[in-house]
Amino acid sequence: MINITGLGAISAAGGNVAETLQSFSRKERNAGPVTLFETPLKYPVFEVKHIPEEYYLEGRRTLSLALIAADEALRDAGLENDLSSLRVGVCMGTTVACQLNDLEFYQSYRNTGAASMIPVDRYLKGNLAEFVSRKFKARGPVLTVVNACSSGTDAIGVALSWLKNGLCDIAIAGGADELNRIPLCGFGSLGIVSGELCAPFDRDRKGLNLGEGAGVLVIETKESAARRGRSSDLFLSGYGSASDSYHLTAPRPDGAGLERAILKALSDSGIKPGDISFVNAHGTATQDNDLVEGSTLGRIFGTDLNVLSTKGYTGHTLGAAGGLEAVFSAAALREGWIPASAGFFNKDENIPLIPVTERADVRGDYALSTSLAFGGNNAALVFGRREK
Amino acid sequence: MNMLGMGIVFASGRGIDSLDRALHEGWQAPAEVEIKGRKSFAYKVDQQAISDRTLLKNMRRADKLSKMAVVAASEALAGGMVNISPSPHPSPTGGEGAKIGVIVATALGAHVTTFDFLDDILEYGDAGVSPTTFSNSVHNAAASYISSALGIEGPTLTVTQFFFAFHSALQLAQVWLNEGRCDYVLAGTVEQYGDVLAYVHDTKLVPAHDGRIKPFNLKPAFQVPGEGSVFFLLGNNPGNAFCEVQSVSVNDQADNLPPADLNIIDADGLLEDESIYKECLSPDVPAAAYSPLFGSMMSGSAFNCAAGALMLKNQKSYANPVTDNPYGFNIVNDTAPCSIELIRCVRYNCFHERAEIYLRGKQIGEGR
Repeated sequence: MINITGLGAISAAGGNVAETLQSFSRKERNAGPVTLFETPLKYPVFEVKHIPEEYYLEGRRTLSLALIAADEALRDAGLENDLSSLRVGVCMGTTVACQLNDLEFYQSYRNTGAASMIPVDRYLKGNLAEFVSRKFKARGPVLTVVNACSSGTDAIGVALSWLKNGLCDIAIAGGADELNRIPLCGFGSLGIVSGELCAPFDRDRKGLNLGEGAGVLVIETKESAARRGRSSDLFLSGYGSASDSYHLTAPRPDGAGLERAILKALSDSGIKPGDISFVNAHGTATQDNDLVEGSTLGRIFGTDLNVLSTKGYTGHTLGAAGGLEAVFSAAALREGWIPASAGFFNKDENIPLIPVTERADVRGDYALSTSLAFGGNNAALVFGRREK
Repeated sequence: MNMLGMGIVFASGRGIDSLDRALHEGWQAPAEVEIKGRKSFAYKVDQQAISDRTLLKNMRRADKLSKMAVVAASEALAGGMVNISPSPHPSPTGGEGAKIGVIVATALGAHVTTFDFLDDILEYGDAGVSPTTFSNSVHNAAASYISSALGIEGPTLTVTQFFFAFHSALQLAQVWLNEGRCDYVLAGTVEQYGDVLAYVHDTKLVPAHDGRIKPFNLKPAFQVPGEGSVFFLLGNNPGNAFCEVQSVSVNDQADNLPPADLNIIDADGLLEDESIYKECLSPDVPAAAYSPLFGSMMSGSAFNCAAGALMLKNQKSYANPVTDNPYGFNIVNDTAPCSIELIRCVRYNCFHERAEIYLRGKQIGEGR
């Protein structure tokens, strides 16, 4: 059994887990125009408004966000910032931090044939998982997952496998991504960004809003937690991943890949669909994602499923999304409630589910979080809580 | 875990025969390239090597990175004698393709396409960019093309680290096989050459002005950028394997393994000072380095690993392509039949951390 002993999160919904839950409870949607960079694009975005000075890293916002969430998760787990005496792995997902997409650097090279190497050095020293690992002196396996929008979920799944196979005793796992001009332009060009606040699963949804943040779990073996004298009501029980083998950007219409990922996560956990109390869905509010995901969830779990998308509070945070939604799912199990799925008003007759429209109690001990990625990868995690 | 199939595309061609031929023929001069008025060298993959109308029929808009990856992955799958019949209407448990996973390891990913996308922004503005270019610049595009071109429906992952991505991919492949998550894993690496990369290389590192990477020179360490892709089909069943991947360690000592019969070092000029490799070389164990055939790539370990696997399969040692040896290391000077059981492939990163892959050529198939 793999325990969840620490949670950390930062997004537009809050600078830590407690703030985020309060924000969810108040149904706050902290979106606004882009302020982090200049762009003529007028899409609303979910920016993190405050990064504490001690975490500020020039030109490396994703790393700052990751450190804030990792620090909180480690404190929650009762771990120090020097992990060198323990077998700790780090597996983090991202999209933006893996690319040398510094526009100023490139423009200089393009115009003059020469450019400062400072952005290059930042990039070469900024591999997300390596950076987090060095910061906390972790000595176990290190891996950065770059699986587009399922990166965070896959990173946690990889860390779960590491722990089950004895590669480490503890893992820091999740995802982080900053709001960046490049993906904003890219998603805009694909015509899937909404000019209004996003409305996951709603009949009149017009697309996603981009956001930024980081979500990190500390997970560890039962034996490791016992050695440290830590107990936890929460555990990570299963992970499933499957490819659509279909298209670079569009989800497979029949949802077969997502279904296999979910069924694998359930079988990993030794549970049945009826044991799931709620699903924190990918729910981006694009036409295609919500139709495929809603139909697949309805087919597996039935139409009475408690389902929500937290992207109405955070925006789509890309590589961070799976990490944040894992933290939100685990926190919901611990607190015993899920928030309303922000942005939903009207049922889409093509989707057999209605997301929760008001805060709802969690009945049952298991939760599922799903991610669907560009490239056709689907990933799912199952979280559990023990009876108190 | 056994290497059941292998596919490669690199500057000297495509396929295992090309690799074998290159190892026999030794060093070949890289291509001369001119970038913004500066002359340089690069080991570039010829477009002919990735021209495959059948395999790439749905990939006309894909970039070179993805095409190289699909070609290499396809050959690894075919070489492992695994045939997939994708089902148009897969069941929840999936078809044959659901038993295969994909792990693409890359240091720099689709950087060339990313810079193309930045060109779009600079030329046409934020609202005028190409959705196709953006889609292909996403880091996992190559993995997506592999799964869709080959009918693979298992877990498909792209991972990145600057020097140890391939090692981490092998570790994860072993874990997936142990867990029964997959019956087979296609794990490999892909890197693409581009002018911005070449500029960064030549600015931060020492270019090889004669086109020769000299792996045993250590300091100064000379580099020539390379590109290509190599994939391995991995499984726990013995099959007609190239070799067994006995152990993979990253910044950790491999457990209780006897001394190797051969050390392959990944020195390729990507560290300013490669003297750290002295720590892993021994006068008692011959050493080889094949980066002068492939070019300098942060995930070049996979290419050296391919050479090691072929040595074990053929029971033949291949001479070092460049034999400059100022420190008098015990290096392989001749291509000749020999008895090799265990090969250690070693890579250091700029923090002087070490990653090792042990390949074993005998007693294959016991399935670790």
